[in-house]
Amino acid sequence: MQPAQKKFLIRFALFLVGFYGLVAIQPVNDAVVVPFTVLLVKASAGILRGIGEQVVTQGTVIRSTLFAVDVRNGCNGIEAALLLLAAMLAFPAPPKARAAGVAVGLFAIQGVNLFRIVSLFWLGAHRRDVFELFHAAIWQTLLILLAVGIFLAWGRKLRGGDGAEARA
Amino acid sequence: MPGAGSSAAETALRLALRALSGFALGLVLWRAATPAYDRVLAGFAEPVIRLFERPPATRLYAEGSRVVVDRADFPSSSDRPALPVDDLTFDVILLLTLAATTRGLFRDRAVKGLALSCGILFALHVAALVLAVESFYATQLGAWSTATYGALARNVWATASHFWRLAGCFAAPFVLWWALIRPAGSDAPARGAAPKGSRLRRKKA
Repeated sequence: MQPAQKKFLIRFALFLVGFYGLVAIQPVNDAVVVPFTVLLVKASAGILRGIGEQVVTQGTVIRSTLFAVDVRNGCNGIEAALLLLAAMLAFPAPPKARAAGVAVGLFAIQGVNLFRIVSLFWLGAHRRDVFELFHAAIWQTLLILLAVGIFLAWGRKLRGGDGAEARA
Repeated sequence: MPGAGSSAAETALRLALRALSGFALGLVLWRAATPAYDRVLAGFAEPVIRLFERPPATRLYAEGSRVVVDRADFPSSSDRPALPVDDLTFDVILLLTLAATTRGLFRDRAVKGLALSCGILFALHVAALVLAVESFYATQLGAWSTATYGALARNVWATASHFWRLAGCFAAPFVLWWALIRPAGSDAPARGAAPKGSRLRRKKA
């Protein structure tokens, strides 16, 4: 591994721990993470109603007569967002490109995460046999792969097609 | 160049197919191996936890997709708590998917990198299970928790376990792939392995 790649990994680890520390602090969690999750829950419930599910929300909980989910950290896309933020900040890039990458990346992650919540609720209500598989393994993996994919594509574009690893 | 766009699309398609194959293989392996893997995990985590205990009291055993926590000092009539382990171990799917996207994965160095990554991931799974059990002891057993664990210990175990579940378990496969698999399987031939007359060989000379 080249020194620049080692440097990237060290910076990545530091940013990851730093961002984790930030979102784990109770006031930040209460003032930012929970209200954001509530918004996500309301948006998901809106989509679910659009596809014919009779759901109500209460804080971070979506409920119907068939099923209920409590959307917590780990289900609100924050884990993928932390990984993407840490990777993009650790990677050498001009501030504008970094800001654009972060904005587009977080938007994409949250868009896909909205679909994840909706699909998981639907599976929980109608296909309970596969809910746990999709919840614990498939969707979590796909969301992190999306974050990694966005980071690599961003790095490749930034370096004119060299790939993110080439000069990190 | 008319061919450039289609070439880029082909490359992207090949990459997506490799990722999909790795994901499918990872998922099947993970599903098939989970019962046996959880037993092995419990077998390795148990002695580590017992190192922290005087006298050693913890027994772990896998049951379904959970690891049951038993203690010699639990009342015999009480239920045994069980911790979910699927979300501690699923990250192997992520590692295998990322590995599958690596060109030259079947080169010796990349295969060694993958094997080493799997070994490290296993050690991290053992550590994650130890953290989960200690965090459970420190925060979920009421008066026993507060009597046995000080405030600092409770916070350390709970924070470490939470960090792993929220960030560490996702970052670990990425870091392992980035550090051990991707460089070893990159397209560039190893130094000295470049064909005679190639740019790499000329540059070195």
